[in-house]
Amino acid sequence: MSQPELSEEDLLQRAGRGDSRAFDQLYDRMAPRLFGLLRQMLHDEREAEDVLQDGFVLLWERASTFDPDRSKAFTWAVMLFRHKAIDRMRMLGRRNRLVDSAVLEQTTLGEPAHAGVDEEVQAAERGVEVREALNDLPKEQRQLIEFAFLKGLTHHVIAESLGMPLGTVKTNIRRGLLRLRDLLKGGA
Amino acid sequence: MMDEERFEELAAMNALGMLENDEKRALDGAIARDKEVRSLTLELEQVTAELAYLIQPVEPPANMKKRIRAKMRARGVKGGGVSRGVIIGGTGWALAAAFAVASVWLWQERAGMTMQLAAASRAIAPVHNPAAPVVDDGKTRTLEEELKKRRDEFEAQKQALVKEIESLHKQETDAKAQSAKLTAEVAALKQQEQQSQLQIATLQSKVWEYRRSEMLVVWDQKRSQGVVVLDKMPKVQSDQDYQLWVVDPNKPDPVSAGVVTVDSKGSVKASFKPVEAVSGEAKFALSIEKKGGVPKSEGQLLMVGP
Repeated sequence: MSQPELSEEDLLQRAGRGDSRAFDQLYDRMAPRLFGLLRQMLHDEREAEDVLQDGFVLLWERASTFDPDRSKAFTWAVMLFRHKAIDRMRMLGRRNRLVDSAVLEQTTLGEPAHAGVDEEVQAAERGVEVREALNDLPKEQRQLIEFAFLKGLTHHVIAESLGMPLGTVKTNIRRGLLRLRDLLKGGA
Repeated sequence: MMDEERFEELAAMNALGMLENDEKRALDGAIARDKEVRSLTLELEQVTAELAYLIQPVEPPANMKKRIRAKMRARGVKGGGVSRGVIIGGTGWALAAAFAVASVWLWQERAGMTMQLAAASRAIAPVHNPAAPVVDDGKTRTLEEELKKRRDEFEAQKQALVKEIESLHKQETDAKAQSAKLTAEVAALKQQEQQSQLQIATLQSKVWEYRRSEMLVVWDQKRSQGVVVLDKMPKVQSDQDYQLWVVDPNKPDPVSAGVVTVDSKGSVKASFKPVEAVSGEAKFALSIEKKGGVPKSEGQLLMVGP
């Protein structure tokens, strides 16, 4: 008889209690999406691999602090890995490096991936919801949020890179994220 | 800007990892004090993390699990993390399985400790063969490589910190020089004030973007004219100008004293004369208005005082 598939939240909690098989399964499910994120942020295969390696060591150490009432396992992991990637960029001195404004047009998140197993179907469905909510934002807000999410730069560098007043960058990020929050909660 | 908007802004930028160190400290302080700021910060972090659902998955290298395991052992992480995938079914095998798992775990612990001891010995002893592989898997990095990488990382971090400290020293020196210059200027102006009926006012802003900006007005009430000195002012948009106002207690509206154009460093020193005579004890204000200025203030007041 086949066992019902455990959710990522169950697996992460089990990993937090020292279950290495749960950790193993969690790696199989999350690593491709997290590695995709790190490659986009770091633009360097070797650096992305190193951060993925360090990130999973950290995830194992911190899994016991995960609270399923406060977040999903995947978003919890994304926050942890993004922090690691930003730390790495800071260490490499990349966070204060200006980027070409043309890069803004090219730096966009893709469409949700096609899915196979149940958990992936749920992730893909959530991806569709996130894409729809993003598309509801004004273009400038959407581009700035996607750019900031994938580049990990400070607001000063983003403003300078894109030739935008700092206040405009901050206002668009604030309004965009608040609106995105409302849309993802099901608000109009 | 209202405090609420300011903290929304900080929380939003924090969620995207955009904050500078001083802003992060300000937000952390607010999080510690205010439950709503804490809740908003967490909420926006969640929202941001959800963007990762749009990332295209990419398969990591096949040996990544082994690398993670090797790293855990090298760091002495308890538990070891990734399993070896042993699956035994049936209750009759439970004890045997437990024994096997315990044996594997003990073996791993022993192997991990042996490697740590070996790595420590190598770290303190002269290097005979730095390239000798010490990890159980030939495809993974050797501990020597790992130690070298860590050393390089620390070195890079150290260099970055040294640069940051140098930059902060330079900023401090510049700020001291600027402060001394302004102090001398104020002293000179105060001396002039004693000789004529001059009023000197230093204005500072409560608007967040202007918190570091400085504005000094020297006002000659007899002649109804003055000098304004601005420093560290942010750039305005191309269709806008800063405009100076003199507030006369005997008039219903502030009197325009003209537009003020700052240089690329956000500084200017300019004389001004209000379009109408000012009779009472004057106050001063600065706002952002349409290009060329307006007869009656329409924009946001950035600085008011004294």
